[in-house]
Amino acid sequence: MKDLTRAEVEALAAAVDLRMTADDLVEVTHRLNAFLEALRPLAALPLDAVEPVPTSPARSAAAE
Amino acid sequence: MPDDDVAFLPATRLAALVREKQLSPVELTRVYLDRIQRLDGRLRAYITLCEDAALDAARRAEALVMRGSRLGPLHGVPFAVKDQFDTAGIRTTMGSRLFEKHVPTGDATVVSRLVGAGGILLGKLNLTEFALGGTIDYPFGQPRNPWNTEHETGGSSSGSGIAAAAGLCGAALGEDTGGSVRSPASWCGVVGLRPTWGRVSRHGSFPLCWSMDTPGPVTRTVADTALLLQVIAGHDPSDPLSSARDVPDYVASLGAGVRGVRIGVIRELVQSPDTEVDVRSGVTAAVGALADLGAVVEEISLPLIRQAGAIFMAICDSEGAGLHHRWLSTRAAEYDPGTRRRLLAASLLPATAYHEATRARALLRRRMLEALDRYDLLACPTAHEAAPPIATSKAAIVSREDAAGRFFTRRSFTSPASLAGIPAIAVPCGVTGGGLPLSLQILGRAFDEVTVLRAAHAYEERTSWPRRPPGLG
Repeated sequence: MKDLTRAEVEALAAAVDLRMTADDLVEVTHRLNAFLEALRPLAALPLDAVEPVPTSPARSAAAE
Repeated sequence: MPDDDVAFLPATRLAALVREKQLSPVELTRVYLDRIQRLDGRLRAYITLCEDAALDAARRAEALVMRGSRLGPLHGVPFAVKDQFDTAGIRTTMGSRLFEKHVPTGDATVVSRLVGAGGILLGKLNLTEFALGGTIDYPFGQPRNPWNTEHETGGSSSGSGIAAAAGLCGAALGEDTGGSVRSPASWCGVVGLRPTWGRVSRHGSFPLCWSMDTPGPVTRTVADTALLLQVIAGHDPSDPLSSARDVPDYVASLGAGVRGVRIGVIRELVQSPDTEVDVRSGVTAAVGALADLGAVVEEISLPLIRQAGAIFMAICDSEGAGLHHRWLSTRAAEYDPGTRRRLLAASLLPATAYHEATRARALLRRRMLEALDRYDLLACPTAHEAAPPIATSKAAIVSREDAAGRFFTRRSFTSPASLAGIPAIAVPCGVTGGGLPLSLQILGRAFDEVTVLRAAHAYEERTSWPRRPPGLG
């Protein structure tokens, strides 16, 4: 997948009411592209039958 | 005994000396205040020092000793807490300019429990901004590693690691979301425990990621960690998700040894190409020592653990971005640039990525719990490297690859326990050729801190690594 450009990142930020300095924009673009790249392998995991339990197993103990 | 030697005694020993009237809580408090005065201008462990209040508390503690009153397990022992925990009437900054003048009206439950056990609050400890990690310009001073002040301390409980390692308190408390207790313990050469999620109340602790945040001790010995856990563990009505399970006697079971305990050594973290040679050999020798003590040690494979850092950050950073969104859109300039950029990037992650990460988390947790069906404990390095130079952490991020290298690899070592909600301890396991501490991480089943502490204690008793940073008195 193609990396997001600075202009695209700036537009995404504006859409959620966030503004960035020029320096921030450069680094946030690198960070966001790295993030999306790092998460890409998750798509290949066998997650169809996995329930996204929002807390750890400790939660059940809390109800004891 | 010289004052500087007293400062490095374990908290368990300090408490015993106070009980036996061989050590005055007032004198002990003055020892730490004097060391802080001498050393902390450079190390920057403390954000706020409670000098007068600590001396007043020490005088009251001394009066109780002399009166023959019943004493708590930490009676007269000066401790300090990460500045993420509320303290009534004492400013609590979260390491941020946004909270520079924030003064809570109540104590966090962990603080009130430590004080209730007789501990004397010395002050509030430095941290990466909002416990997030990656701070570039620390508002309250750059934390420095006591073993080499040009090197990082680890975070986010940076001050907790420094204060325990440099003899600036009897014991410290940190908070661990993805490794924030274990990382500074690892790089500063002390012990740090992430308890099972729900074992310790989070009430009064500023949140980062609700489903992973947990307070944890940072101390000079495993026994001290057991003692602090004993004090802070247990249900708290103010934190409805804290567990109602009974709290076992962590201290009494420390000496049971590891004979017959089954330990799985996580291949992907020990043999990772990212793992430094010194780290790999230190951890390999450490698990060998546990085998010599009678543990059954085998290598296991958990391939999904390589993705743990990315899974963790997708969840933690997204929750953090949600928490900070209002301030980020109105007070962005008050954040440290590193914190701000991390939160901004997380604010732009698609919701589908977050959702997928929560499912990947559940899968990783399942794999880890399956491994813990076969083994009593898991072992791996706490960090892939010893403390790096401060300068390298502050360099600008110049590419996607640079960002990936800095953020995801290191978090794959400590975040698995966080994602699975299980306990994990960092225990010193040697020093590099350059004199920086190495650390073994031991993970256990949910609510089985007893076995984790037993193994860490057995290893600690077996070894004699240098515990005192050179040049600090």
